[in-house]
Order: sequence, then structure tokens, then C-alpha cells
Amino acid sequence: MPPSSTSRSLALSVVEAQETAPGIREVDWSILMVRAQGGDAAAYRRLLEEIAPYIRSRAAKLCRDPDEVEDTVQDTLLTIHAIRHTYDPSRPFGPWLVAIAKRRIVDRLRRSGVRRERETSLTREHETFPAAQSNNPAEAPERRALGLAIHRLPIGQRRAIELLKLKEMSLKEAAANTGMSITALKVATHRGLKALRRLLAGGEEMR
Amino acid sequence: MMPTPDLIDQLAAGLTPVRRLRSPMTRAVQWLLLATIVIAMLVIARGLRPDFWQCVLDRSFVVCTGASVATGIFAATAAFMLIMPDRSRGWVLFPLPAVAAWLSTIGYQCLTNWVAFNPEDMSWAEAARCLSTLVLASLPLTLTILVMLRHSAPLRPVSATLTAGLAVSAITATAMSLIHNLDASVMILVWNLGAASMVMGATGTIGRRFMRLAFTSADAGYV
Repeated sequence: MPPSSTSRSLALSVVEAQETAPGIREVDWSILMVRAQGGDAAAYRRLLEEIAPYIRSRAAKLCRDPDEVEDTVQDTLLTIHAIRHTYDPSRPFGPWLVAIAKRRIVDRLRRSGVRRERETSLTREHETFPAAQSNNPAEAPERRALGLAIHRLPIGQRRAIELLKLKEMSLKEAAANTGMSITALKVATHRGLKALRRLLAGGEEMR
Repeated sequence: MMPTPDLIDQLAAGLTPVRRLRSPMTRAVQWLLLATIVIAMLVIARGLRPDFWQCVLDRSFVVCTGASVATGIFAATAAFMLIMPDRSRGWVLFPLPAVAAWLSTIGYQCLTNWVAFNPEDMSWAEAARCLSTLVLASLPLTLTILVMLRHSAPLRPVSATLTAGLAVSAITATAMSLIHNLDASVMILVWNLGAASMVMGATGTIGRRFMRLAFTSADAGYV
């Protein structure tokens, strides 16, 4: 979005102001907030973008986890959004912002303290996947053997097994998917399973 | 978690103009005006207590009523101050001297009226009338102050609702002492302290839930 002439002139004045006097940034934030209260989205975006690093640095002093710091920044921004009408332009912006940020940081610390007391974080052993990845390391070799065996089936049987048994499609869905008739699918599955049994039994004999 | 720049984009895109809150003092005065109107209407409807003009001459009655009015005014001011993020948290202590004066006069009245206490004074009809005054005074005041204070949700919900509850109970107690002839110590204790803690407790629990609701619905679109 191209900056409007007002926000460009504002940006210029901000740069000038920053060079002229310390603490003037707060005055600019105050001006931006007043515009945001009036519905000026560009000013509001600028304000949030400028205060976010400030909140982040404050939060980073107290929280160690970078994710928590970012969560705190977002909580603070959401709170500012929800109560932006409580800012009174005749008063300085800094204390208003700091009070909100402090509150959210304290909340976050309290919550993470409670979590540390009551919860233990998951380790790799606790993890489980809904997908076909290996949840049980002991099953991995068998899974690999089955994959290889399926791979050795003729193409029609392989597709029938994959769709009906591995992806658990219904006969109708599988028929629509492959273009094979339902009877042909049934026959292919039956033969495929028989072949797999033979292949896997053979594999075991070989082992 | 969404990246912070995306959140900023979303907040800026959803920005609507807002009306600035009036100064806390103005809002406190507005609410106190409403409280005055409520009390005045109750007094007109129910009439003053029969011995009101005698009571006005009684120093302890005047001090007690004055203290409860002061508690109402100070607590309301504190509540409206507390919801402004940049005002000090110390405002929560502002009504304390008035509360102390109020409670001590109630205690003093208890002591002096203990001898005069007579169980036959406590009639159930009078008690029911008291309860209705209590509800009629405290309900509209509680609802309006909670609506006016709903912005405190993200910051100091507990202290804001506590001071608001104190303000409502003090105003309600004032209304009671103007309308009802309750000089028996037990009644005074039950009604003044009981009503105060009841209203404060109710305001506290309802208020916190209400405020959480108001806050979550306010930014539900962004979370």
C-alpha cells in the first residue's frame, strides 16, 4: 500500500523529531494513537510496528523463551487494540503503554510458572503421529517388509490393496478412483492379499 | 501462533474509529448522579423513615450516613480511576479512610443500641421491605457500574470490581438508612455489613465473568 501524503509528512516529522529531542518518540506515539482512535489504519499500523520491538525488549528481560516473548508481545498488542479508547491524549503515552505491557508480562510469567509446576513437557518417547509414520519403533522393520511386498505386486492388485486396505476407501470410492469395476477390485484385492501372504511368509522363511 | 507482523496487519485492517472515554472523574460523577436519582426515587416511593428528623439531630446517625456517602463517592472514583491503565494502582486504597469511618460508626451504633435491642422489633414484613429496597437500589447501580467499567477487563478486573462493589454497597446502605428504621444492632450489622459483603461478592463474581466475556467477545475476531 503506498503511503498517503499525511503519513509521509508524519514520517518526516517523526524523523526530524527523533533527531531533535530525546523522549520525543513518545509524543509521536501519542499522535499516532490519537489518529488511530479516529480510525486512521496507516497510523495505527505504524504505531503497532514501532511499539512491538519496544514491548519485545521489555518482555525479553523477564521471559527467556523466545516463543513466550512473542506471545507476550501479541497479548499486549491485542490488549492495546481492545482498550485503545482508554488512552487520553492529554496524558503521556509511555505510562499507558508500559502499564499494559507490564500487566501482560506478569500474566505470562504467572501462567508459565503454573505450567512449569503442573506439567512436564513431552519428550520424543511421548510423541505419536496420526499419519503412517512409525509410532512404534519395533514395528518399523515389519512395516518396511510389507511396503516392499506390496511394491512387488502386479499393478492392479497393488492399487486395490493400497486404496482399499491402506487408505481404507470404500469399494465405491476405489472404483471411482481407479475406473475398475467393483467386482474387478474385489478379485484384485483377494488375489493381492493371497500374494502378500505368500510373499511375507516366504520372507520369513528366508529369514 | 501467527507471526506478529500478520497480527499487526489484521489489527490495522480491522481498525474502527473509537470514542475516547471521558475522564474518570466525569464518569464517576455521572454514575453518582444516577445513584442520587435512584435513591431519590426510592425515597419518594417508600417515604423517609418515620423518625428521620429526629435522626438528623443524632450525631452518630449523621456521621454514619456521611461516612457511607463518602465511601460511595470515593470508591466510585477509585473504580473509574483503576480502569485507566496509566493511573496508579494505589487508587484502590483511596476509599479506605471513609470505609474505616463508616464501619466504626456502625460498630458504635451496635454498641449503643445493644441495650435497646428487642427481638420483637424484627418483623418479617419490615425485613422483606428492606430486602426489596436493597435489591431495587443495588441492582441498577451494579449493572450500570459494571457496564461502565467493562474496559477494565484486561487490566485490573479484581480491584476495579471490588471498589465498584464497595461503592454500590455504600450507596445502598445510605438508601437503607434513609428509608428504614433499623436501629436494632443485629439488623444494622446484618443489613449493612451483610448487604455490603453480599453485593461485593456478587459484583466480584458476576463482574469478573462479565468482564472476561466482554473482553473475549471484543477481540474474538483476532484470537
